[in-house]
Amino acid sequence: MSAPATPPPALQEFKDNLRAAPRRILETAFRSGNPSTDRTRSTFIFSNVFLHLHSVRVHRWTLKWSTSMGLGIATTAGFLLTLITGILLMFYYKPYPDAAYQSIKDIHFVVPTGRFIRNIHRWAANVMVVTVILHMARTFYTASYRRPREFNWLIGMGLLAVTLGLSFTGYLLPWDQLAYWAITIGANIAQSPREVTDAIGITGWFDPGGMQKFLLLGSDTVGPEALIRFYLLHVMILPLALMALMSVHFWRIRKDGGLARPADADQRLGNAPGPVYPVFTQAPLKTYSLAAIVRGRTPAVGNGPENTVPSMPHLFYAELGVFMLTTLVCLALALIADAPLKELANPSIPENPAKAPWYFLGLQELVSFSAFVGGIGIPTLVLAGLGLIPYLDREEAGTGEWFGGPGGRKVVFQALVVGFAAALAIESFAIRFGWIREWYLAVPQFVVTVLNPGTILAAVYGFYSVWLVKRYKSTRAGALGLFTCFLCGFLVLTVIGTYFRGPNWVFYWSPGDWPRH
Amino acid sequence: MTVTPGSPNSRLDPEPIPRRDLLGLASLWSAASALLFAALGAMRLPNAAIVAAPSKSFGETLPESLPAGEAFIPAHRAVAIFRDSEGIYAISTICPHLGCVVKSNAEGFECPCHGSRFKPDGTVSKGPSPLPLKWLKVKAVNGGFQVDEATTVPAGTRVKA
Amino acid sequence: MEKNKYLLLGSSVGVLLLLIVAAQESFRKPWRQVQASGRGEDGEIAVRLRQITNANLRVGDRCVSCHVSMAPGEQSVTGAAILAAHKPVVHDPAEYGCTVCHGGQGSATEKADAHGAVHFWPEPMIPLRFAEAGCGTCHTALQVPNRELFQRARQTVDRLDCIACHRIDGRGGTIRPGGGRTEGPDLSHVGIAGYDKGWYEKHQAHAAKESAGPWKTSFGKIDDADLEFIGIYLATRVSAPALIEAKATFHSFGCLGCHRVSGAGGDEGPDLSRAGEKDPGQADFTNVAEGAGLDRWIAEHFRSPVAVVATSQMPPVAASQKEIDLLTLYVLSLRRRELPGAYVPRDQMQVTRFGQREFAPDGATLFGAFCAGCHGPEGAGKHASGGATFPAIANPDFLGVVNDQFLTETIRRGRPGRRMPGWAKDGGLRDEEIARIVEHLRKLGGAGPPADDNWRASSKPETGRGIYAANCSGCHGAKGEGGKGPALNNRAFLEIATDTYLMETVSRGRRGTAMAGYREPSPTRRALAKSEMESTVAFIRDWQKEKK
Repeated sequence: MSAPATPPPALQEFKDNLRAAPRRILETAFRSGNPSTDRTRSTFIFSNVFLHLHSVRVHRWTLKWSTSMGLGIATTAGFLLTLITGILLMFYYKPYPDAAYQSIKDIHFVVPTGRFIRNIHRWAANVMVVTVILHMARTFYTASYRRPREFNWLIGMGLLAVTLGLSFTGYLLPWDQLAYWAITIGANIAQSPREVTDAIGITGWFDPGGMQKFLLLGSDTVGPEALIRFYLLHVMILPLALMALMSVHFWRIRKDGGLARPADADQRLGNAPGPVYPVFTQAPLKTYSLAAIVRGRTPAVGNGPENTVPSMPHLFYAELGVFMLTTLVCLALALIADAPLKELANPSIPENPAKAPWYFLGLQELVSFSAFVGGIGIPTLVLAGLGLIPYLDREEAGTGEWFGGPGGRKVVFQALVVGFAAALAIESFAIRFGWIREWYLAVPQFVVTVLNPGTILAAVYGFYSVWLVKRYKSTRAGALGLFTCFLCGFLVLTVIGTYFRGPNWVFYWSPGDWPRH
Repeated sequence: MTVTPGSPNSRLDPEPIPRRDLLGLASLWSAASALLFAALGAMRLPNAAIVAAPSKSFGETLPESLPAGEAFIPAHRAVAIFRDSEGIYAISTICPHLGCVVKSNAEGFECPCHGSRFKPDGTVSKGPSPLPLKWLKVKAVNGGFQVDEATTVPAGTRVKA
Repeated sequence: MEKNKYLLLGSSVGVLLLLIVAAQESFRKPWRQVQASGRGEDGEIAVRLRQITNANLRVGDRCVSCHVSMAPGEQSVTGAAILAAHKPVVHDPAEYGCTVCHGGQGSATEKADAHGAVHFWPEPMIPLRFAEAGCGTCHTALQVPNRELFQRARQTVDRLDCIACHRIDGRGGTIRPGGGRTEGPDLSHVGIAGYDKGWYEKHQAHAAKESAGPWKTSFGKIDDADLEFIGIYLATRVSAPALIEAKATFHSFGCLGCHRVSGAGGDEGPDLSRAGEKDPGQADFTNVAEGAGLDRWIAEHFRSPVAVVATSQMPPVAASQKEIDLLTLYVLSLRRRELPGAYVPRDQMQVTRFGQREFAPDGATLFGAFCAGCHGPEGAGKHASGGATFPAIANPDFLGVVNDQFLTETIRRGRPGRRMPGWAKDGGLRDEEIARIVEHLRKLGGAGPPADDNWRASSKPETGRGIYAANCSGCHGAKGEGGKGPALNNRAFLEIATDTYLMETVSRGRRGTAMAGYREPSPTRRALAKSEMESTVAFIRDWQKEKK
């Protein structure tokens, strides 16, 4: 028998299919084909599960650096960096007291790139806290929380809380002195509702503070149970919560019509440079009918394409750029400064001074007057106030503009002065003259809880903003003032707590003046 | 375009759920209550019934030569034990403010975390502590005595050795 | 929109550069360079992290990443000095690791961190000149005499020229001509390994057999006193000669009078059982000159306790520089490590399980270790700067009028209200030890107990009141509560003081103190009659009945 000149058709087909397989895998993965035109790029975005959170086209106002300063993306970048480095650290970390400390030592000394990765983890976490606060301030000052974005503002607050929670739970894991005493203080802040229940005398049968602390620590002191709980929160519960909230947060941005912009954004931007291509030359029926039943303001609904540009590549350049910039900052910080690691935790000798992570030092400063007010009272008040802002400020003027709204920059500037002055005044007074208990030893705790620098400062800020509301006949003006004031207060208290408090929480002008043990 | 809920012919608003769908409501409510009950049960787990911590009550003997007013601090315990002419008493060294361990000194106690100061009898003399230091129950037991960290006694309670 | 591209370009290039810097840094670790210079039997050695692990001792020491020849199985790496092998010691570093003896941070791989003199590392390396302090981590030398005895023991061994044949602590031991060994065995650690107690008889028998050679020329008769000293010396040969001398010094300064070590000692000062583990990060170095090691802190603490610990009540130690170094060495050696059963050394077991003492059982050592701190090395008493007076207990005038029971009971029960603690209960001394202290005291003062000790004052107490008020109350207080002179109404004192003691003291006085003898007149007063003195004693005795 002689071999056939051509292989049988079935075999030929098999060979052709095999040769075509790589191309087809790619084609089936990215069904829209090569994203080389605006049209195919759009398809590329909405047929991709990861990218479709972006709208296909994005308004040019969104891409202005001054609009968002990339702070949301920077926060996301910080999260992704901590996520990746955190997973890497989990290869070596052992969540059991002394072993935990030893494993961090190992990560520091012998794990290849361990020190670098841990430093990145630590710095990215800090960067994330900074950018999430700045992102919130940006959103507030550009009045972007207004209709229809109210609920996304609330989700953003949830994200802020979870971010701080992640940072705080990560603090215990090295199991050194710093960790141990910061968490001891933190856990007792959770217990501080007792200050109130004790004062009313109901702690015996209703003790929410004690319950909170016990749930957090799994015991009445910080020990192995607490460590495993914090570990669980840090690597599982809180990251999952954060990712869930983040998804909703991003999805809502898209559903709420992208970033907020002034009503006259189109006029202000002028005509787009370069030629404008019509997007949907043949409007795909499917998409259009989908848009018809979705209520709301997607960028394509009701707006011409003139001032929008395709997300791919313009938005992606911006996002990737901010991501890389954040990475650059974190890497640089990681190379400059090592994450701290003190002595092994020692439950019988407190650190002196025992300080919480820096972003809680403002609260710790308040806590040094009253545990309940600093740890629970003021934070609850601030969170409630922030959460209510979008529901109280129902105005329209100034949306999407920096310091938009009645009063504007003037109010913010004035509030800066008031905020700093009030915080500095009350703090200097308390540092110089002490507080009620130093004057009248027998004063009941209830009085100290109600009257202390924290409550007084909050009251001053509150009255000032009420005055602003009356003066400008606008809730937005009051909100601008109050937010600015609290930001100033946070800054002043944090700086004092960080740099000017030494052993026994005594005021010192510089750490050089601290008594040496 | 306005859509009136319940108007049967709107293409955009499909038929609303009938209000008196007893079966549907019953199923939903029972599902919700089952899930709620499960959630409460799950919450029970992290609330440990007992923990492997050292016993709160411990025995101790004081050195003969302990001067009045000077603290004796047993190893690994946050308790200061004193002896004076009226007897023996124990004061917890856990600051009622935020749980740091206070240090005993000549003027009483001081807390390193937020600067609370206490007089030798545990009452607050300065700082944010909302309560005085706790006096703990002491029992004389053949030769030595037993301190119970979990039981508080009124300030000033002393036990004859 | 170009600027976003520049942003991406710029930051990406920046990230790349930083990654290169980071990668390069991890390839420039010092231990890599050290190992690159080393040469083993087969040429270059593998450049990798090395370590000694011992799960029983909870050791994981990476020190051998630089000190390569100390790593398991790598005995002969040549090159830089840092690669050299450990000098021969009883414990193989490849099994025991480094940090057990030397301290330092075993998990670290860079010099500063590994040697441990960094922030936040509580156990830095013990300086090399105090290296023997590391033995104290697991071992404790037993039956160490005071310094004087120890020195005499050493002198005896030197005088008898034992090291002509034996090698002891690296000294002596002439190599036999032709042979490769010393004439006698190395005695450097017979204190642990034990030795033949009948060695002297065997030596004698051997010497009698030989007609020539070293046995004939070097070995002669040794008297019993010398034999005893040789015994003391040999018992303390544990391969740590400096540590033994340090401990002997410690047993001469009366430190145990106030401090406790392994359950024996006073509690006026802190327990020193783990003083060598103090975290230098918790110590105040403000007034410590030059350097910041724990050794410097301890040394300065001996010179001027108040300068380093403001609240310290310890008097400065009057010691020479060499003695302070020795005391520092000893304090540094007071460390403990939890050991698994198989690793607990015999000496430690002797102390914890069988109640063996760390100090020698003779009276001189006991007195030196427990009493000399307050009563002085010769029992001459002391006036501390704070006004406290420590009685001269070796005063023959005192010893001549007290019986042994008084001395024993005073030591046993102490003197409540005064610094003297009860040594039987609080101080942890045993009855036979107290008896030896009393014996030694008698030897120091050279005076035995009074011949007749059963005399009782028979006068009515009331008759003595006036005499007491006129002659005694000035110093001893109107109610005997004490003043310039000691308190006489102390019940513990009256319970053990006999009437003879009181009578004789009043009558003869005590030389060297303000207490005058009342049987002789002085320029300001007349002599007291015997009956007057007797009624005074009865008056004093009467306080014993007061307030139950």
